[in-house]
Formats: sequence, C-alpha cells, structure tokens
Amino acid sequence: MNIRNIRNFSIVAHIDHGKSTLADRMLELTGTITERQAKDQILDSMDIERERGITIKASAVTMEYTHEGQTYMLNLIDTPGHVDFGYEVSRALAACEGALLVVDATQGIQAQTLANAYLATEAGAEILSVINKVDLAAAQPELVAEEIEHVLGIRRNECFHISAKSGLGVQELLDAVCMLLPPPTDRRDEPPRALIFDSQYDDYRGVICYVRVFSGTLKTRQRIRLMGTGFAYQITELGKFKPDMRPVDQLGCGEVGYVIANIRDLANVRIGDTITDDARPAPDALKGYKPPMQMVFSDFYPGNNTEYPRLRAAFDKLALNDASFTFVPQNSQALGFGFRCGFLGLLHMEIIQERLERENDIDVVQTAPTVSYEILLRDGTVKRIDAPSELPDRSNIEEIREPFVKLEIITMNDTIGGIMKLAEARRCKLIKTDYLSPTRVMMEYKAPLAEIVYDFYDLIKGISHGYATMDYEFTGFEAGDLVKIDILVNGTPVEALSLIVHRSNAEPRGRKLITKLRKSIPRHQFEIPLQVAIGGKIIARETIKAYRKDVTAKLYGGDVTRKMKVLKKQKEGKKRMKSIGSVQIPQEAFMSVLDNSD
Amino acid sequence: MDTVCAGWSVSDERRATSDAEPCSLYVHVPVCRSKCRYCGFYSVPADGVDAGRLVDGLLRELDRHDGVEFSTAYIGGGSPTALPAGELVRLAGAVGQRAPRVAEFTVECNPGQVDAGLLTALRAVGVNRISFGAQSFLERELGLLGRKHSVAQIAAAVAMARRAGFENVGLDLIFAIPGSTLADWRTSLEAAIELGAEHVSAYGLSFEAGTPFEAERRAGRLAPVDEELDRAMYEWTIDRLARAGLEQYEISNFAKPGFECRHNLGYWANRPYVGVGPAAASYRTEGAAPGGRRIENDANVERYLDAVEYGRAAPSQAHMVNGDDAVCETAVLNLRRRAGIDLAEFRRRTGHDAMRTFAGPIGRYGGLGLIEVTDRAVRLTRRALPIADTILCDFAALE
Repeated sequence: MNIRNIRNFSIVAHIDHGKSTLADRMLELTGTITERQAKDQILDSMDIERERGITIKASAVTMEYTHEGQTYMLNLIDTPGHVDFGYEVSRALAACEGALLVVDATQGIQAQTLANAYLATEAGAEILSVINKVDLAAAQPELVAEEIEHVLGIRRNECFHISAKSGLGVQELLDAVCMLLPPPTDRRDEPPRALIFDSQYDDYRGVICYVRVFSGTLKTRQRIRLMGTGFAYQITELGKFKPDMRPVDQLGCGEVGYVIANIRDLANVRIGDTITDDARPAPDALKGYKPPMQMVFSDFYPGNNTEYPRLRAAFDKLALNDASFTFVPQNSQALGFGFRCGFLGLLHMEIIQERLERENDIDVVQTAPTVSYEILLRDGTVKRIDAPSELPDRSNIEEIREPFVKLEIITMNDTIGGIMKLAEARRCKLIKTDYLSPTRVMMEYKAPLAEIVYDFYDLIKGISHGYATMDYEFTGFEAGDLVKIDILVNGTPVEALSLIVHRSNAEPRGRKLITKLRKSIPRHQFEIPLQVAIGGKIIARETIKAYRKDVTAKLYGGDVTRKMKVLKKQKEGKKRMKSIGSVQIPQEAFMSVLDNSD
Repeated sequence: MDTVCAGWSVSDERRATSDAEPCSLYVHVPVCRSKCRYCGFYSVPADGVDAGRLVDGLLRELDRHDGVEFSTAYIGGGSPTALPAGELVRLAGAVGQRAPRVAEFTVECNPGQVDAGLLTALRAVGVNRISFGAQSFLERELGLLGRKHSVAQIAAAVAMARRAGFENVGLDLIFAIPGSTLADWRTSLEAAIELGAEHVSAYGLSFEAGTPFEAERRAGRLAPVDEELDRAMYEWTIDRLARAGLEQYEISNFAKPGFECRHNLGYWANRPYVGVGPAAASYRTEGAAPGGRRIENDANVERYLDAVEYGRAAPSQAHMVNGDDAVCETAVLNLRRRAGIDLAEFRRRTGHDAMRTFAGPIGRYGGLGLIEVTDRAVRLTRRALPIADTILCDFAALE
C-alpha cells in the first residue's frame, strides 16, 4: 500500500453523541464487516462498555475504502469518551494524523467535546467536525454549527452533517477522510519504530501489543527490542484488526496493527513504549506518553484475606491494558493486606472495581477515595501523599497543598443559579462564563479536585435535569487551610476513616461522618463513643448505645437446632466486619467517609 | 413445652460411671383446650383428639425405647391437664412404671385445669414435681396472653398441690408483656414468692413466628416493651428472687437450693434425651464420642398416631450433629447455666479443652468483663446475662 493512501484517525465525541454508531457504519460501508456480522458497537468489546454505553479502552480497526478509483487503508483508532479518560484519548490521538470531532445535533457542544477538541489540537491532529443525528426531529444542526464556529473556530460551512444511524452522509465523510486528512509522514527507510498505544493479555499468546508504525517496517520473526524497558523478543505474529485479528507478514510505515512476541511478563510492556529492531535499533524512542496523573486513590482489600494473591494477579492483568491504573501493596491495621490504587478519576475507579468483580470474580472491599496532596515540610522538602493516614506529624508540616483543576461546565442558562450555588459551597472560584448560544452557557471554574471528585457530577446532573456536562483538567497544587479529621471509635483513632478537608468544612463534615457511622456500626455489648478530632482536639461526639437486652428466654431440648442456626448466623454477620480493638466495623462504614450528602 | 425435659446437675455427672450417659425422658402431650396467643409450640384442640387413643399412642412410642434407662421424666405440652384426668393419670402411671427410679418426675399443669383428685392421683403414681403455667398474677395480662385461668386459681392450685403432697412446685412466669410496667411485673413476682414456690421460671416474652402476638406486632397493634424496661424487669427478677432464696441457676430459671430442675439441667449439659409424642425432640448419642443425632417428630397428631399404632416409628426428621458442632452446642448450652462450662466435665464429654478451643471469645469477652474464668469453670458474668446471645453466638461455631 502506498503510504500516501493510508489514513490514521480517531473519532472523538461526548458520550452518546454517536461515536460507536458512526464506527459501525463505516465498517459496513467499507465492507469490513457485513451487515449480518454487524453487531452493534463492535468496537466496544467489554461488557461494561456496552452496558454503560461508553468506550473505555482504545481499540483499533483497519478498513479498505475505494475513493476515486484508488484504494485507501483507513485505520480507525477508537477513544474513550468520558471525562476521566482524557489521557487515553491523547494516547490514541498520538497514533493518528486526524480526528473526527462528533457533536450531537440535538445536544450541541458538551464539556467533553471541548476537552477532546483541545486534546486533538494539542496532538497536532487535523480535525473534521461532524454534526450527527441531523435526521432527528429535535436536531438543530445550524445552531450547533454556529456553536462550533464560535467555540472552536471551525467554520460552520466546513461541518459534515450526518446520521450515523441511517448512514446519511457517512460515505461523504469517508471521502473527506481520504481527501482532507493528511497521510503519515514517509519514513520507511529509517530504522523501525512502532508506538505501543494499547495492549491486551491473552492467556494463550501472551501480551498483544497494539502498535502504530512510525518508521521502517516490522516483519514476522524479526527480533525486536522494547526501547523503554530494554527487553528483546522475537515477533511470532503480526496482524491487523479487520476487526478480528488477521495475521500479515509485515506492518509497513504508517500502518496500524498488532504484534505478538511471546511476551509472558505483563510488566515488560509499557504503553507508550517504542518497538524497534534489536540488531539495528533506532537512535531514539518515539515521544511516547507522559505518565498519566493519578488524582484519585483508594485502597482495595480482598473481601477474604486468602484472596490476596488472586487480587494481585487480577490487578496485574488490569494494569496491562490500562496504563493509567496503578497499584502498590498496602497493609492496614483495620483491613489487612491489600493495595493502594491510583485512578484518573472516580468513573475510572468504578470501572476498575466492576471489572475486578466481573472478570475475576473477586469481592473487594474498598476504602473511600481520596485525592493526592503535596506536603511542604518544615525542612523544606515536599512530600506527595495519597492517603490522609500518610500525613506527617503536624509539627513537621509547613503547609498542605491540594490539587486544583480547571473545571468547565456547560449547561442551560436557567440552571446556572443552582450550579453556581453548589460550586460556591464546594469552594470553586468562577473564572468566566461564556454564552455558547442564547440559552447555553459555559462556566469555567478554578476548583479544588477534592470537592468535585466524588458526587459533584451527579449533583450538577440533578440540578440541570441531566443536561449539564463537565470536564476538568489538573492545573496544579496550591496551599490551603486544610486539616486532617481523625475519627476515634471507642477511643481508638481509625486511620481508614480519616480525611483531609478544608478547615471551614471540618466540623460539619466530621459531624456528618459520625452520624453516618452511628447508623452503620451495629450495637455492641458496650457503649461506643464516636469522636471527631482535629489535631488532637475533640470537636464532636456521638454514641452508639449498647445492647441492653438480647437473650433467648427458653432453650430446651426441642429448641437446640433452631437456636444454634440463629446464633451461627449472628456470628456470620460479625465475620463480614473488621475488628478495631473490640469494635466490629462493617465494610459499609468505611464508605460513609465518602458520602457528603445529608 | 415450657419447662421441657430434664437432666442432671453437674454433681450428678460425677456419679455417672458407666459408658451409657444418663438419659432423660420427655413426653409431649400436644393438646390444649385453647391456644394462648403468644405460644408458638405445637398443639391441637383437645376436643378434636381421642384422648385414650393419644395416650395409647404415646405409650406405644415409649415402648420402642425399651432398653433405655431414664434418669428423669417430664410430661409437658401443650397442656397435659387438657386430657381427661383419668387419661393423664394413666399416662403418668405408665411412665412411672417405665421409669421407676427417676430422681425427678414432673408434670406440667395449667392452674385452671387441676383439682385435688387429679393432683393426689399424680402424686400416687410417682410424680414428684408440678410445674404450673402461672404466667402472670394480673387478670389484665392473663387476658391479653389468652390464658383461661384466673389469678385466684393459681394460688388455689398451688395450695391443692401442697395438700396432695408435692414438696417441689414450680411456677412459670412471663415478663415484658406488652403494656406491662415494672410495677406490674413486681406484683406478679411478689405473688409467686408469696406462694412459696421452690422453682420459678421467668421468661422474657418473645414474639414467635406464626402466633397471633407476632401478627399483631407486625400490624403495629402490639408493641414490645422498651428494651430498657425489659432489662430492668430481668435485673430486678434476678435480685428479688435471690433475696427470696431462689438462686438463678440458668438464664431464665431460679430455684431454692436443691430444687433446680434436673430434667432441664440435662439439656444444658447437652446430655441425651428421648422425646415421645408429636413434635417432641430427641438427642441420641453413642458411647463417649461427641456428636450424635437430633430427631424431631413431625408436628402432626394424625400421622403420628397412624404410624405408632401400626408399630412403626413416629414420622420424624433427623440430622447428625458432628463432633465440632457438638462441641459448640455443648458450650452454648453450658454457658446458659450460671455455673457455666465446667472445664473437667467439658473435657470429659467433648474431648476439648474449652479454654483453648474457645480462646478467642473467652479472651475477648473476658477483657470486657462479660465472661469470667476460674480454674474450674468459664461462665458469663452477671452483666452478660441480659445480652447473652450477643456473646453466645461467638461460641456457636469454631473460629
């Protein structure tokens, strides 16, 4: 294939704006799949993705398309569409020369549309803007085109009007991809360099690397080297996704496909690494990716301690095809052995948790997510912590810095009031408001990540009747008047329940927390004081009353079997709890730290 | 089936030298003249059953246990006194002949269903203990409970028993009846003390599945008494009866020295027993090995009679209790006794060192002052009694 006839592109879109449907239609129109084979949203291969209607993992497919008598190779690299996955979007975009920015004609620009457009521009990708669902009664393609022009500076007459569902305009869009998106740069004579933009683990074949060849050619049986980790392998199979895996003899410059090289150790493959020839290596690696910034941390413990090794193996596997997920062993006084996991955001965390339970059948206990903090110590050093329990002694702390984000919210103008009220309560500072159209507003805030990370998105969805969208981007750490709240259960501080909050919120948060704990910790044989302490000073207290009467009045011959059953069940209930001193704390109590609602 | 079967006290155990464990006999008379509204035990209306046929059937089933030597006997119900007096006496007489050397032979009586003749006849055939279902000394409460006797009949029944020669009379009482105050309960308890009963069983009311009480509780028409009041009533019971010379020897049972119910002590020692009659339970062991078989006769008078009249075994459900479960059952049952687990007895009967097998809960609750350990025994402390189930559950399965 002539390199001038290769097009590598992504589709970026807000959730539900029709990215996957458009991909399906392209696969059909190019004959890559027949209609009979067409399973809706073929690119979303994970159950969770299909259920949630979002694409989590980048995936790739190679199509052949004839335009003006010439055959083109179109490599579509799929991207995730959610706020948490900006990092993965940019990863996919790094393997492309172009991007289709899809906007729903009934919804207009959303916060993620903007974020994705920025990412594409940053990656140097040529953007084609596409207005989808133009055949719906509620479609307002002209207004949307105006928004696109106003916000993104793409001229309104350059927008493609399509209906991915019916196929309207998709052929024209494919033609435009051939005509308007640039081909890869021709570097076929240089030493081979291929970017690993994704990977999967197959129990039989080992690691399957998804690659984009930037220079030279990869051939089967070639000895290759991973430039970042230094490991060398022999390629056993090369292939393309059509969309199922089809072996080929070689992958040429500009092409997209997969590499299998009998790589058994997951840790040896890093997403973003460069594959080169082992004997004739390239002088330097491709730019790769800056490591993703985990902003949300949570500890995962196996529900049953004997499952620790299985949990470790499951995390290994998840980390392989999710470079943005990290985990390190953790040992908690309350919860035993587990892992501290780092995530891009809350949704990312939920997805990992679900995949763990679904794909590996492991029950996990999870502590409340927390953001990462920077601590400036008296001796001038800066320490990064990702759990309140890691906070050094107060006397050594000069200041505590928390992560801030640039937060963009797009909503209808009649719900601005409610959203502003919420944002203010969460210490967000309004930077600007921008009318996208007479009824739609974009608000930009400077926001502490800790305040928006848990329930903020759900709340603005509620306020705006599902309309508002948001996106955020980390901007930096800033000092704040932050304090650590300690929770004492029966006089013992429980680290897993500590949290770092702004001083202005400390007392109400602490009170709310122990009120919730009072409801979730069952009564014991003794009274249990629950206390909130800040810097050793008790600021609030609740009490869990003791059992006063719980005894079976009659236990004679005919009652033994039944009563033993009841007692055993009572004991089983205790097993699912964790002992802190003589107090049994149920798992859900640890999650109440999260819950900032009333 | 209130104060059901019997057993031996800890000191009796020492006398048991043979491999065969002392075994108690319980005979269940599953008929009542009317159903009390709180009672979840199996019984059918007395007028719907041929009493002669029922007694014949019970005796036929008893015949099947020919080789067993019984240490105590107990006829309970239901209401044994709902039988025609002649049939009850015939039943008691036959049981007495079958178990001639028992140390204790109890018949449960409804205070409204006895007369001097019946009590004298029972005494004559070897019955030496009467347990009266008094329940309350307040007419209002008796009415709410669905009891058909009066307060006055309780005193009269006790007096008749004394005249008939009974030196061991027990009274069953219920506290924490909906609407009851601490003063109400004191009235009942004082009256029981006044009557000079040798034994008092004081049960906190529980709402049993399938009873009218439970249905009314669910419908919100009947409110359980407040937990604090329930506890206060219980605490007061323990103190007041102790002052009256009735020491607590089990969670709900109190007796003058030497009048502890031997039959029931057998249950709490987890010794074997034979239960005869519809819905009666048996626990059979073999030799010295821990574990055994728990058998529960089906709660169906007609099917029961059909079977036993043809010489067949009573329809029943049985399940094996394995060694570990037997260890736990023994611990839970023992701990209901104020004497607790006798470490030597426990080791002899289960092969386990209770201190080691239950080191976890003993340590935990010892630290909380809810369990106390001496060199001979492990027992619940007084503070632990009102909340015993929250502790016993940790002995219900090995950790």
